[in-house]
Amino acid sequence: MLLRNILSAAIVASLLCAQVSRAQSAPAISSASPAYREVTDDLGRTVRVPQPVQRIVSLAPSLTETVYALGLQDHLVGDTDYCDYPADAQKKPKVGGAINPSLEQIAALHPDIVLVTSLNRFETLHALETIGISSYATDPHNVDEIITSSKKLADVLGAPEAGASVAQGMQRHLADLQRRIGSAPAKRVLFVVWHQPLISVGKHTFIADALRLAGAVSIVDSDKDWPQVSLEEVARLQPDFLVFADSHSQAAPSTVETLATLPGWSILEAVNKRRYAVISEAVNRPAPRIVAAIEELARQLHPDAFLEKPENSKEKIEKENPPPAAHYSSSPNGVQDRMALPGACACAR
Amino acid sequence: MRPLTLRRLFLQCSFLVVILFFVVVLALKFGAVPVSLYALGRDLLRVVFGQSSQISSDYGLIVVNIRLPRILLGIIVGASLSVAGTSFQALLRNPLADPYVLGVSSGASLGAILALIVEPHLTLSPLVAALLPPLGAFLGAAVTIAAVFFLGRREGQIDGNTLLLGGVITGSFISAIIMFLMSTLSGSLRGLSFWLMGDLSTPLQKSIYWFLGIGFVLAAGAIYTTASDLNLLLAGEKEAMHLGVDVPRVRLVVYIAASFLTGLAVSVSGAVGYVGLIVPHVMRFIFGSDHRTLLPTAAIGGAIALVLADTLARTVVAPTEVSVGAVTALVGAPLFIYLLRRRLA
Amino acid sequence: MSPGSSHARHLAEAGRLANEIRLSVEQVSYAYSANPAQAPLFTLEATSFQARPGEIVAILGPNASGKSTLLKLIAGALAPLSGRILLSGFVTHSLTPRTRAQRIAMVQQESTLLFPARAWEFVLQGRHAYGRSLRFESKEDVLIAKNALAQVGAADLSDRWMDQISGGEKQRVILARALAQQPLLLLLDEPTLHLDIAAQIGLLDALRRLAGENRYTVVVVTHELNLAAEYADQVVLMQRGRCLRVGPPANIYQRELLEQVFQTPLTVELGSSGRPRVYVLPDT
Repeated sequence: MLLRNILSAAIVASLLCAQVSRAQSAPAISSASPAYREVTDDLGRTVRVPQPVQRIVSLAPSLTETVYALGLQDHLVGDTDYCDYPADAQKKPKVGGAINPSLEQIAALHPDIVLVTSLNRFETLHALETIGISSYATDPHNVDEIITSSKKLADVLGAPEAGASVAQGMQRHLADLQRRIGSAPAKRVLFVVWHQPLISVGKHTFIADALRLAGAVSIVDSDKDWPQVSLEEVARLQPDFLVFADSHSQAAPSTVETLATLPGWSILEAVNKRRYAVISEAVNRPAPRIVAAIEELARQLHPDAFLEKPENSKEKIEKENPPPAAHYSSSPNGVQDRMALPGACACAR
Repeated sequence: MRPLTLRRLFLQCSFLVVILFFVVVLALKFGAVPVSLYALGRDLLRVVFGQSSQISSDYGLIVVNIRLPRILLGIIVGASLSVAGTSFQALLRNPLADPYVLGVSSGASLGAILALIVEPHLTLSPLVAALLPPLGAFLGAAVTIAAVFFLGRREGQIDGNTLLLGGVITGSFISAIIMFLMSTLSGSLRGLSFWLMGDLSTPLQKSIYWFLGIGFVLAAGAIYTTASDLNLLLAGEKEAMHLGVDVPRVRLVVYIAASFLTGLAVSVSGAVGYVGLIVPHVMRFIFGSDHRTLLPTAAIGGAIALVLADTLARTVVAPTEVSVGAVTALVGAPLFIYLLRRRLA
Repeated sequence: MSPGSSHARHLAEAGRLANEIRLSVEQVSYAYSANPAQAPLFTLEATSFQARPGEIVAILGPNASGKSTLLKLIAGALAPLSGRILLSGFVTHSLTPRTRAQRIAMVQQESTLLFPARAWEFVLQGRHAYGRSLRFESKEDVLIAKNALAQVGAADLSDRWMDQISGGEKQRVILARALAQQPLLLLLDEPTLHLDIAAQIGLLDALRRLAGENRYTVVVVTHELNLAAEYADQVVLMQRGRCLRVGPPANIYQRELLEQVFQTPLTVELGSSGRPRVYVLPDT
């Protein structure tokens, strides 16, 4: 009696296991599309991309933004909880966080390709591979690489013209900025990621490169990506400006007010004279929008280089950065957003 | 007077296995994506009878490719941690001992971190690259086991208190190294803290499951042969020896096998807390302290606990996944307090 | 070795060797030093004595005289530096722990249990040496355990939890566990230390009875002069690691000898049972 029970349980178990092994060896999660294209991603991995790319899942806010900038948002079938720009991205089906996405959710969306960056864990990449879903990684370390990486991504996703156009737009914008502020001496800044403890950015990050392109130089010289900086060192170097990246414009001024009362911070000239700049959090995302953040910063650090009649400058920006596809300007604020940001007001008081 | 018989043991284990079966069914059904088990069962039968080559529907693939491996991992890791916890509690004669008290999890974490540091510098096939962190973790665990073994000896034999001291200090030291590494390295080890808390979400290669299963059977089996000896060891080492227990041999076998089980578990899932500590106490509460019952029931109980915790972790705020270690802690600690009060009252 | 055959072995042995030497301690010495390079901290000099089935031997002496060390050597827990200890012809130290536990039972003073257990579970532990690795106790084991509890008069304690019975009751259960081992040799290390006077008498009465009925050889370490005198057939008198004299109580209980060993004035008289009785004199 006992033996028979054990035997039948074993049979059922082995059937299930056999099914698992068969299923694993022939993954058929994506649609039955036989055409593939092999590309190499930013991490040097060889990726098999199904052709054509119909369904994209993005696992980082910057990638979501890039997909929108390339006009491919109709192919975006899922993104993370933190993908909030543009506003339409918030309506897409969510697969969880960047670090802990739900594998099931991703699989249920039947993506052709999943986009990842350094924000995501290696485990997630391996997990996707194990269940047979292709993942493509971007990993830009400076603004130039953001441009080339976006262009390459556009090519992989089947929209090379949009990629070229976005890249050109970014390059033109940057060239214009360079023209205006290239001759001015760089302002020495401290980019404040967090103030307690004091965390800034390392010199190998794209944020440091963005600062450089905005006519600034980070006083922090570290190989680490997110170094914890000693306040003493900052006091010794006395930056000209503090730079905050904030989506909420009210937070930065009150933070600075608080810092002015703290013993270590109040010896900084920049804190005493309230010399700080606030730019949009786009600077934290390696996506086309970073160029707008760079300009914001440049305007606050080098206001003289931008002394023109307001209407002219608005036209100029619109001319140099035409919306790449019809959908992009359908977001109600579009270009106006950039002008309305509080960073536009000079904060050197 | 009702001594333990094989029949009673079998009944107790069967009862638990039935509960495990229901828990597995629950875990298969619930998740970020809704699944109809009836439809899945129907499809499975069709495949079995050769009417279709494989399951092609959405839920089938999700259940079979993602959930089932995850449940399997939960069963093996839960069982390993519980058996290891029970063994260490007996070996160290300490009811607060858990699988990590001798530093094995710290060693495994360090091994995994070193593997993650080294990985980008090596050009590896994706298969090997995926195996590198678990392999590093397992090696780290093995080295720690050996180191603590040598530290824990007194007059050539393993001594309970010396072992505990050696293990705790080694664990702290390694944790300090880990903290130092995490604060000075330029690469981003983001997501490592997620793994450190315990994470069952990564599906592994098929061969790893085989390795885990066989490893578990061998190690747990070795411990089980010392089950009656462990009962006597709890009465005191001198007494155990006078009652016929070969104390040095039992200590050695249990130490190595239990540490091996812990190393296995931690290298594939990070350090899931509370399972190895609480499940033995719950099983002792229900079934008594005889290790011939306690070891198997703790194994099955651990499997039940971890699969339940993992199911909660991936459904409670779906699609975001909560760390399974957070769930075990939130449930485990109050449960422990409750057991403590019941025992004292 | 199944319990049945060992029981038969015991009976056969008891029949054959009723008057033969069972325990032979031959010139046994020992030295203990914390560090191999240092001089020994404690030395036990060559000691010899013999005991027969049914005999009670008391190892008597003041603190730090080497009594417990000698007992551990007899139990096989320590290896002697020189000399040997034979139990029915076998050298005790060279036996495996399992075989040793089938022949020698040690009764501790107390038992600290980490997790609660019932008395019958506790006594069943005595059968451990007779089983294979993964076995469960047989009906015979249960019978032997029940019997052991009955023999010490603790049958009614069978279902009680060990941490809920009194010290004297616990001592009886511990003794029952030793009996369940069906040993040839019963060793007790200061068994009366934590017992009140009634419990002390009760224990020693039980030992005398059991030694007679089951033909055990009993070796008791004690420093209780009068209990040893009353119950022992032989006394081994120790002082500072040396065995001073071996013999029946009448030979050992002499005033000058005892005063020298215990460093206190006393008198020795003959008690009502025919055994010597020691009276300690107060300081005047």
